[in-house]
Amino acid sequence: MSGMTYAQIEQTVLHTLRPAPLKYWAVVALTFLGLLIGAGCWAYQIAVGIGVGGQNIPVVWGTYLINFVFWVGIAHSGTLISAILYLFRAGWRNPIARAAETMTVFAVCIAGLFPFIHLGRVWMVYYILPYPNERTLWPNFQSPLVFDVVAISTYLTVSSLFWYTGMLPDLAIVRDRATGLRKRIFQMISLGWTGRHEQWRHYTRAYLFFAALATPLVISVHSVVSWDFALGIVPGWHSTIFAPYFVAGAIHSGLAMVLTLIIPLRRIFHYEAFITENILDNIAKTIIFTGLIVGYAYLVEYFLAWYSHNIVEQESFRWRAFGHYSLQFWVMVICNTVVPLLFFFRKVRRSIPWLFAISVLINIGMWYERFVIIIGGVAHDFMPNAWGLYSPSIIEYGILLGSFSMFFFLFLLFVKHLPSVSMTELKEGIHQGGDHGR
Amino acid sequence: MAVEKCVISLFDDETRAASAIEALRGSPWKLERVHSPIPSDKILNALKLKKSRVGYFTLAGGIIGFFSGVGLAIYTGIQWNLIVSGKPVVAWIPFLIVGFEFTILFAVFGNVLGLLFQTNLPEFQSLRIYDQRCSGEHFGVLASCAEGEENKLMAFFQEKGGEARLI
Amino acid sequence: MVDLTRRHFIKILGIGSLTFAPGCTSRPEKNLFSNVQAPEDMVTGKATWYASTCRECPAGCGILAKNKEGRVIKIEGNPLHPVNQGRLCMRGQAGVQGVYNPDRIRRPLLKKKDGWQALSFQEAEAFLKEKIDAATQKGENRVHMLTEVVGRSLSALFDDALHKWRSQPPLVFEPFAYESLKTANQRVFGLDGLPSYRMEEADFLLSFGADFLETWLSPVEYGRKFKQMHAVNDGRKGFFVHVSPYQSLTCANADLWLSCYPDAEVVIGLGLIREAFQHGRGKSLSSELRDALQDISSPFTKDKVAELSGVDLDLYGKLITRLQQARKPLIFGTGTGAIGSNSLQVDTVANLLNTLLDPELGLLEFQNRHLVETASRRSEVLTFFKGLAKEPEGVLLLNNVNPAFALPSSGSPVDVLKQESLFTVSFSNFMDDTSRLADLILPVRLPLETWDEYSGTSHIVSMVQPTMAGLTGAPHLGDLFLRLAYGEKSPAKNFQEYLSIKLFSSGVIKDQKDWVNMLREGGLFEKHASGKPSPQWISGDEVRRTLGSVSPPRNAELTFFAAPSLRFFDGRGANRPWLCEVPDPLSKVAWQSPVSINPQTLRQRGLKQGDVVELRSQWGTMEAPVYETEGVRPGVLLMSLGQGHELFGRYAEGMGTNPFKLLSPEVEPVAGSPIFTVNLTSFRSTGRSLGSAHTEGSQGFRTQFGIHYRLRLAHTDGSKVQHGRKIALTTELQDLGKEEKEQKPGLGMWDFPLVLPLPEGYDKKRDVYPPHDHQIYRWAMVVDLDRCIGCNACAAACYAENNVGIVGPDRIREGREMAWLSIERYLDEKNLKKVTFLPMLCQHCDNAPCESVCPVFAPHHSKEGLNNQIFNRCIGTRFCSQNCPYKVRRFNWFDWKWPKPLHLQLNPDVTVRSKGVMEKCSFCVQRIKEAHGLAKDEKREIRDGEVQPACVQTCPTKALVFGNLMDKNSQVRKLTEDWRAYQVMGHLNTKPAVIYLKKVVQEI
Repeated sequence: MSGMTYAQIEQTVLHTLRPAPLKYWAVVALTFLGLLIGAGCWAYQIAVGIGVGGQNIPVVWGTYLINFVFWVGIAHSGTLISAILYLFRAGWRNPIARAAETMTVFAVCIAGLFPFIHLGRVWMVYYILPYPNERTLWPNFQSPLVFDVVAISTYLTVSSLFWYTGMLPDLAIVRDRATGLRKRIFQMISLGWTGRHEQWRHYTRAYLFFAALATPLVISVHSVVSWDFALGIVPGWHSTIFAPYFVAGAIHSGLAMVLTLIIPLRRIFHYEAFITENILDNIAKTIIFTGLIVGYAYLVEYFLAWYSHNIVEQESFRWRAFGHYSLQFWVMVICNTVVPLLFFFRKVRRSIPWLFAISVLINIGMWYERFVIIIGGVAHDFMPNAWGLYSPSIIEYGILLGSFSMFFFLFLLFVKHLPSVSMTELKEGIHQGGDHGR
Repeated sequence: MAVEKCVISLFDDETRAASAIEALRGSPWKLERVHSPIPSDKILNALKLKKSRVGYFTLAGGIIGFFSGVGLAIYTGIQWNLIVSGKPVVAWIPFLIVGFEFTILFAVFGNVLGLLFQTNLPEFQSLRIYDQRCSGEHFGVLASCAEGEENKLMAFFQEKGGEARLI
Repeated sequence: MVDLTRRHFIKILGIGSLTFAPGCTSRPEKNLFSNVQAPEDMVTGKATWYASTCRECPAGCGILAKNKEGRVIKIEGNPLHPVNQGRLCMRGQAGVQGVYNPDRIRRPLLKKKDGWQALSFQEAEAFLKEKIDAATQKGENRVHMLTEVVGRSLSALFDDALHKWRSQPPLVFEPFAYESLKTANQRVFGLDGLPSYRMEEADFLLSFGADFLETWLSPVEYGRKFKQMHAVNDGRKGFFVHVSPYQSLTCANADLWLSCYPDAEVVIGLGLIREAFQHGRGKSLSSELRDALQDISSPFTKDKVAELSGVDLDLYGKLITRLQQARKPLIFGTGTGAIGSNSLQVDTVANLLNTLLDPELGLLEFQNRHLVETASRRSEVLTFFKGLAKEPEGVLLLNNVNPAFALPSSGSPVDVLKQESLFTVSFSNFMDDTSRLADLILPVRLPLETWDEYSGTSHIVSMVQPTMAGLTGAPHLGDLFLRLAYGEKSPAKNFQEYLSIKLFSSGVIKDQKDWVNMLREGGLFEKHASGKPSPQWISGDEVRRTLGSVSPPRNAELTFFAAPSLRFFDGRGANRPWLCEVPDPLSKVAWQSPVSINPQTLRQRGLKQGDVVELRSQWGTMEAPVYETEGVRPGVLLMSLGQGHELFGRYAEGMGTNPFKLLSPEVEPVAGSPIFTVNLTSFRSTGRSLGSAHTEGSQGFRTQFGIHYRLRLAHTDGSKVQHGRKIALTTELQDLGKEEKEQKPGLGMWDFPLVLPLPEGYDKKRDVYPPHDHQIYRWAMVVDLDRCIGCNACAAACYAENNVGIVGPDRIREGREMAWLSIERYLDEKNLKKVTFLPMLCQHCDNAPCESVCPVFAPHHSKEGLNNQIFNRCIGTRFCSQNCPYKVRRFNWFDWKWPKPLHLQLNPDVTVRSKGVMEKCSFCVQRIKEAHGLAKDEKREIRDGEVQPACVQTCPTKALVFGNLMDKNSQVRKLTEDWRAYQVMGHLNTKPAVIYLKKVVQEI
């Protein structure tokens, strides 16, 4: 992308903010409809009782927590790309950072919804918050679920602030090029940014700290999520490998989701110029890496089960592979560990259809990974007399649909109303040859 | 002192802008500020600015965060001294996790506050003396001079290769 | 001997002298809480206990009914009562659900062309009086009556009344009337009745089908006695062998199930008689009887028996040796009612064996007989109906009988009920298959609301008194009869007085004081000396006639058995939600009555569990889902009676199927007993399948291990075996004491030591966290698997005490049953015929995994070691259940319903949980609190055994013991030192406070 001028960059990006065609609004409306369906299902569930879902004893956690973990996972690569790669000075991240961060913010919002949807008495949810009350009843800070509350809310706050801060200069650009109402709005939200040297001086520093703080945070958040399981004594859960395993899995799914999002994005908005094949190539390479970690984790789990001589653990894992949910298990294994290996071929890494297809497959595989862990564990645990099965109900599917619709709804709104690529960072890139990433 | 005049000069290249800044230091004229579309090292070097102090805010936030996190956990724990799973009421390992998350959260708050405070954003004053192209591809150098010297100053900028404009 | 604890004494004192005051008004109470009409001993918030007698089956156990604010909320056994000694079965527990049943008829109903017309009780009574008088005018024998077994006084009143109406005394109809047993007794002992058995003194039991732990004669009594002879007692325990083609609950508790062809029991019996002679028994018999017996039995050599009956030859050999070695053997005949067509022969053989092996017959109490013996034979019942069919003018009175349900439908005598000219009156409180056919339904008070005297065995007098005011304002049956028969000239102003007069005249009571004492204690229980038996022996040719022609067991391809149900008895319990909801202990199926089939038979037919099959006999057809079990022989199909009501309220209608449909209307000619088996003419799949929702269940693994998941059968269990895990453990009798002594403790599943939920249970090597103390008390329970017979009484009691929700079959299919305590049955992996029952409830662990994961402290550890669950704090994350290794936590997926007036039964001391809340066993914390209050008032600590959770209180075999572990001398603490003690999945180091004692099995 060297050889592009500031003007060209601005033009391409600002071009995306021009009034949208009707078909855009049609798609937005469609996703909004999906969102409404999900909301309706939730309302129904609140009115009638959580029993409208498929959960039972022993499988008391259903798709709601699967989706929770799934979306938290998605949320991770955003920060990975914008923070960790920033620290590594991997310039190839610049063009995709904004989209990835946005994905993070929205994904966290949705993930954050699912614990609420999951609750038996959501109207009592405030019990879980440390608010002062006359009986001095407080939440239990030893509970992994409270870790969750703290971690997820922190993550949401931090990633949103990070996202917004990173967008400030671009907002100023939009302001300076816009007229009328939009100008006024952007004047407001750009906080009067003028790119003064004083501002830049502190900004760069603050941005660095942001990245430095977000990096451990992102690792901790998914570790905490993994402890929701690892701190339980359920066979197949109670394992120290869970934290790294989940973090890797999260990034795996996150990168896949980034691909799924930016491939259409660059096509529609003609971003080919800066979201080049090399960048996709780099993402693909990273996916190979995460995919291998995940595959390793799968193997280690089996090794531990075998090595532990714990018959409960062993039966649990035997059943995982050959039991009632073996299909889901093998889907998980193949999509997450085998399919990504195709990226070893340069041709595959550089073919858009392959990239897109594989990224979608990985997303499916990662959803099933959560399914296998969350359902498979308890369905077949200590007391054989209590073994049981679970299958999602129509309501749960409705809410699943709602969550995806909500995600795309928000993302669609974003791409047409805010710069979906960071102009400033691109300019920077040209100037300091920041695109040494390739 | 006499009324001041401001001249802003736009450069389409940071190197020239930087040299202009260098030159200004030797001149009688006062450098007000520099607007750039990107955080340009050359310019920042030319300005010979000290390191930003945002970090102190961040650090302070982090420390406060850690203690308030662990503190909250302990305080709430000992309100009823409820034993769960046979663990002690004040169990350090879980509380450290809470402490950690609070550290990050407050550090980030500190960071943001630090940024806003030091750059005193949001402020809309400077927009009045500002050229919109500065957010595009131009580097704007704003200097002030005593009444009557504005032409000299503009000449100075033009010779440095910028297009100067009196405000 | 009755152990009268202080707690019970208080209960009984609580029964004030004039307690019958609220009972004897026939005016409906406007408001059950009305203190205006409150008896002097009713204190709001304080329970009053009324002693009465359970009428859920003919056994007649003594009960204490817990009355709060004028309504009975719980029934418990009366500890003074000799029959049940304070314990109660699940049917007894469910008695309250009769009174509060939402489908109870509240006003008399008169049948009109256009349906039922409601009358006032006065109108109905007058109307009935007219009808009867009219009938009496017409001539003799125009008033007929069919009644269930009733107490002596009431039955006397019936006789008098019918006599006044110039008619025959009433006929007593019980679907299970023990005809063949009575006849056999009559033949062998010259006693046409049902003596009770001193089972506890026997050292060897042999049953040819008698299911004395479920329904036979007096299950609670014999359950207790059985465990007295069968529990481990200084290294020995009695033997129990069960001979039957299928495995009943009783059979599942036997040391050996000798599985034989249908109707082959008699062959085995004769074989045993032969062996007895071989061992030189029978000296005491008259020579001609001995000869006769020898002639008959001689052909039945070991091999012949094995060939004819299909029993394992070498097991049969062992049985013979054991039987001969036994000092005090006791042999029982066929099961409740009668089973096969040759049950008379079986019972006769059983009696003869008893005489041969124990000429003294010391274990039979001929003087102390079961009241159910007064039931008429089925043959008489049929004649009765035939008579009605011939000359149907007149009035037919039906007292709490359901012939339309309980008699085989083909060519049913019940059709006469439909005849115009016969005016049928039903005193039933429910619109069931019979009342539907009646012309007038005149509901009377149910046993818990009424006066009566019902003595299950002849050597006691047991009172029935109102334990609450009438709910519907219906009259007492006794009062009704007094008014109908005598009008103004009544010998007593009401039945209560009539009762006291009767008791007085019969010399049972001398004065008012005795009367009050009877009401306090529930009856008069001092034993009459039971004299020696005076058997007049059966004659030789009698024997020849009876046993001469032993029909070789029909080895039909498929034989269908209809067995009395532990839960519904003969079907009268089918409208009690608790009885439906608590699953059958052997099949773990609730709400439905599947037909049990051997896997081999299933595979031959290419069927899967859950498939719906059509069964056809020459008498009828029915459809039912199949349940696969090793508990029946190949070729045997088993279904329990009691369900399949066409009409019997919302809980019974359309649930299960009624196997009576398939049975023959004929009776066994000699004894006149019904026949509960039938040969199937066809048996085929309907193609439909309730289907196993989860294929894993039906394939691969199951054939090997019997694993399957909740089927569309409303099934509450997952796997039938424990996969070599430390869950329901058994030990061989000879290993007593030896086992695992020298093994040094480790951290594995099997070498992990028993760790008490006390500071001493902690060890640096095993525990990260330090121990925590308790204040004075650390509540714990010991469950003796060797005593548990899987009768489900505890489960039902728990439902009653803790307001546990009724979810119904669909929810159970989804795996949402709410039972806080459930009897899990585990099959031996090596021999799927061996069953171990495991009462599973919250283990109240010292390090409960459920606690720390809750974000809001809803579950936490109490100062007394309880695992508290704070309902109104719970937000429903369900992590606790997820993390509970015992899976005993239950979640309120919806708001469960208590249709009015069922809600009146709810225990005011226990919160009714709303949707979205987790719940579980609380060790009946409300009872612990109550004991605390009492102890505090008396400035003392709670005594050992003073607190009894509902389950512990009701367990007929005392398998459950509850107490304080901190007290070194408490019974629980002592039991934990038993070498059989272990903790389920103890190696998880959750330190459960429920400690199990291994079941002791013995090879026969």
